[in-house]
Amino acid sequence: MNTFQRYILNKLLWYIAAFLVAASLNFFLPRLIPGNPVDTIVAQMAQSGGTEGEARRKIYQTYMREFGLDKPLLVQFGTYLSNLAHGNLGTSFGNYPAKVNNLIASSLPWTIALQLPAIIIGWILGNILGVLAAYRGGAFDRVAFVGSLALSNLPYYCLAVLLLYLFSVAIPIFPSFGGYNPGGTPNLSLTFMLDVIQHYTLPFLSLVLVLIGGQAVGMRSMAIYELSADYVGYMRGLGVGDGRVVRSIFRNAMLPQITGLALAIGSLVGGALLTEVVFSYPGIGSTLFTAIRQNDYPVVQGVTILVTVAVLGANFLIDIGYGLIDPRIRSAQRGER
Amino acid sequence: MDELLRVQNVRAAYAVGGREVQAVEEVSLTLREGEVLGLAGESGCGKSTLATILALATKPPLYVKSGQMVLEGKTIDLTLGAGLPRELRGQLISILPQGALNSLNPTARVRELAYDVLKAHRPTIQRSEAYELTRQRLEQLGLPARVLENYPHQLSGGMKQRVVTVISTLLNPKVLIADEPTSALDVSSQKAVVGLLKTLLERRVISSIVFIAHDLPLLREIADRIAIMYAGKIAEIGTNHEIIDAPKHPYTQALIGSILVPEPYVRQKRVEGIEGSPPDLRSPPSGCRFHPRCKYAMPKCSQTQPPEFGTPERFAACWLLEAVKS
Amino acid sequence: MNLFLRQLLSNGRFRFSLILILLLVGFAIIGPMVNHHNPLFAVGGRFDPPSSKALLGTDVIGNDVFVQLMYGIGTSLEIGVIAGAVATLIGVVIGTLAGFLGGTLDELLMGLTNVIITIPTIVILILLSVAVETRSLVTMGIIIGVTSWPWTARAVRAQTTSLRTREHVDVARISGVGTVSIILWEILPYMFSYIFMAFVLQLASGILNEAALSLLGLGPDNTISLGKMLQFAIQGEAVRTGAYWDFLPPTLLLALISFGLLLLQSSMDEVFNPRLRKV
Repeated sequence: MNTFQRYILNKLLWYIAAFLVAASLNFFLPRLIPGNPVDTIVAQMAQSGGTEGEARRKIYQTYMREFGLDKPLLVQFGTYLSNLAHGNLGTSFGNYPAKVNNLIASSLPWTIALQLPAIIIGWILGNILGVLAAYRGGAFDRVAFVGSLALSNLPYYCLAVLLLYLFSVAIPIFPSFGGYNPGGTPNLSLTFMLDVIQHYTLPFLSLVLVLIGGQAVGMRSMAIYELSADYVGYMRGLGVGDGRVVRSIFRNAMLPQITGLALAIGSLVGGALLTEVVFSYPGIGSTLFTAIRQNDYPVVQGVTILVTVAVLGANFLIDIGYGLIDPRIRSAQRGER
Repeated sequence: MDELLRVQNVRAAYAVGGREVQAVEEVSLTLREGEVLGLAGESGCGKSTLATILALATKPPLYVKSGQMVLEGKTIDLTLGAGLPRELRGQLISILPQGALNSLNPTARVRELAYDVLKAHRPTIQRSEAYELTRQRLEQLGLPARVLENYPHQLSGGMKQRVVTVISTLLNPKVLIADEPTSALDVSSQKAVVGLLKTLLERRVISSIVFIAHDLPLLREIADRIAIMYAGKIAEIGTNHEIIDAPKHPYTQALIGSILVPEPYVRQKRVEGIEGSPPDLRSPPSGCRFHPRCKYAMPKCSQTQPPEFGTPERFAACWLLEAVKS
Repeated sequence: MNLFLRQLLSNGRFRFSLILILLLVGFAIIGPMVNHHNPLFAVGGRFDPPSSKALLGTDVIGNDVFVQLMYGIGTSLEIGVIAGAVATLIGVVIGTLAGFLGGTLDELLMGLTNVIITIPTIVILILLSVAVETRSLVTMGIIIGVTSWPWTARAVRAQTTSLRTREHVDVARISGVGTVSIILWEILPYMFSYIFMAFVLQLASGILNEAALSLLGLGPDNTISLGKMLQFAIQGEAVRTGAYWDFLPPTLLLALISFGLLLLQSSMDEVFNPRLRKV
């Protein structure tokens, strides 16, 4: 086994450890709630009415079986892990007998459709703005820098609230609620698509602006740092054209920025939870919010484990990517000089 | 020897915080075919700034206020600064940066830079052609061709500087401006770089070198002529022997006295160096810029700048020489 | 110390952010002293606009927004301070022990730290908040504190390893001074400013984490905080109703507090690490 493989294996073991810790927290913490969670939830259902006698007993048995509550805690944990490994997140408390998998599957596409373009566009625009600010300097730099700094330091849900008020209430040009008009049913017609885009604009903007700010601040300082690097002066001194010098600067300044992109994509699922709550957007965030209100632990756990897996996966990919791209790291692993 | 390059009346300043700091003041120099011109002085005397100007690589905040360069009959207006055609750099005049700098892009193989340099001057060149050319050049100069595939961190400091030297001279430039190329190298690596430079001269790859150093012993080894700079001006110029063995300017004498004494009993003096420090160029002293540190200073020295006594080839700018003359 | 204080006070950005924070703290302390309304007690109707009776109008259930703000800022700051203190304490203990003792313990502690850093904070926050029976102000602070110490631990460890080799530390070690005493008297005093800056950052992120949890419906029970005010405003449709007096104050104050604290930290960094000043 060469050192690069050992590096990857080492990283992999770390992430497995992190995952196990997260899975344990996920499993044990909700069980700290006093009393048998199934008793509690069934009692709640009874209170709210609807389910009677035989039906309630069936629900009770479903949960007892699923959790293996009659078995020791460690066996239950084993059952939980094996369910996770099979991609089975259990049955919802709040929307019996809906599967958590299905609940998440129906809301995840909204989150991805909202976040992925926002992250990619925000990342690209932010990097361009950062490089331009570093290059042009002067007034342009100052305005871009202060603006970006302000945007990136503003809590993203605060910006969401402000945008929602400004552009759907004070100046009502965008709808203020949901992913599409409540009357409509999702289809591929032009009118429905336009409706979706209208609903999409504000949540998208609120995310993209914060991302542009954060990326621009980072890229600007990286580009300024690279601009003053010795090799830039040397290349210039040898008559190498600006285009090719900039390419070198870009490549080196981008390396850490790519980490930023991968991290942002990793936090894709968990990063916009509150944006969705503010705009009542039908994604994972709204699902989580409803689940918390209903004490729907299986759904809460499902969302948290999903967020964890996404982040851990992205981090692992970054580590592999870094090992492949950066010759300094690559050879540090090999122990070359 | 024929004249190869001449610069005249170069004045340059840094624009710092809305003010101008004069870094080079009325410098004229000639460089002859086949020679090594040494340029020495304490740090902050303007020698690196002059190197940047000679290499046609000025950029803000450094501005050339006046001056022109005549090279192979062509006249180049130095005040254009960053507006000078980039093709001149590397092809006509090339730069060899300080050994202590990270002159190579850490994430690019050596061959990438070689390709970039060749491509910048021969737009039609193919990658394979560029690699082959560089490989041949390396082998002719006794360097291993495998360095082309290496990243900078895989090369030792000395090897890195030799590779940089080869890249700087790939296009057979007339003049090489070497800005302390051996600083921060160990003695054997220093020798290797100096040897490589001599080989390049002998084989006519380059015609002439301006060698900047704060290290006079090194210049004694390599330079044919030496110019001593102080506070942005040339204090004295002459042949190697004239400067080392018969310095006329008190500053040159002090410089040599502080560095060139091998006897152990004068170590004390060495540590002391020259008393005082170079002037703050934001407000240079009146008259002769060296007078506050000069032990021979006369009233006149603080009032009027001394002219250059002697010929353009051998002069010193010091009022003491007026007395000698009269 | 006096010199640093004078240097700090001569920094304009430090003065500005310090005054900003002090004004907010003063408002949170003096407000409840002069006011005797219960912030959780309705004084008017739904979304009454600002008037002499309620300076900033009322919220969805008729509570006085201005009175709520007085208590809300206090609660948010308290949760932030508890979270910051808990995170800094754990971070400093783990960081100094790992950095000073090194070896297996160092690897173990840093391994734990790195594992926890990789798990998204919001996940641990949600799980802990769901698990506790009641979320008092103190519980909230502790929950937030125990999830955010790893960054401090990492930074403190790095500082400790560089301080460990100092001469005065060696002298103390040779003189047979115990580990805890060395850490307390020979190491901690030298990174006091550093720890304080880390605390300020943790304080800011603690306040924002409280707000995030509150917006998810996991805010502190039986009290009012900026996050809970914002949550009530959003859930009560204040934004869509146009009741700007209800949602704007908590939104802007959250932004202002985090801005003020970050500015405070960065200006202190500028004074304590003069290398940055040039840029």
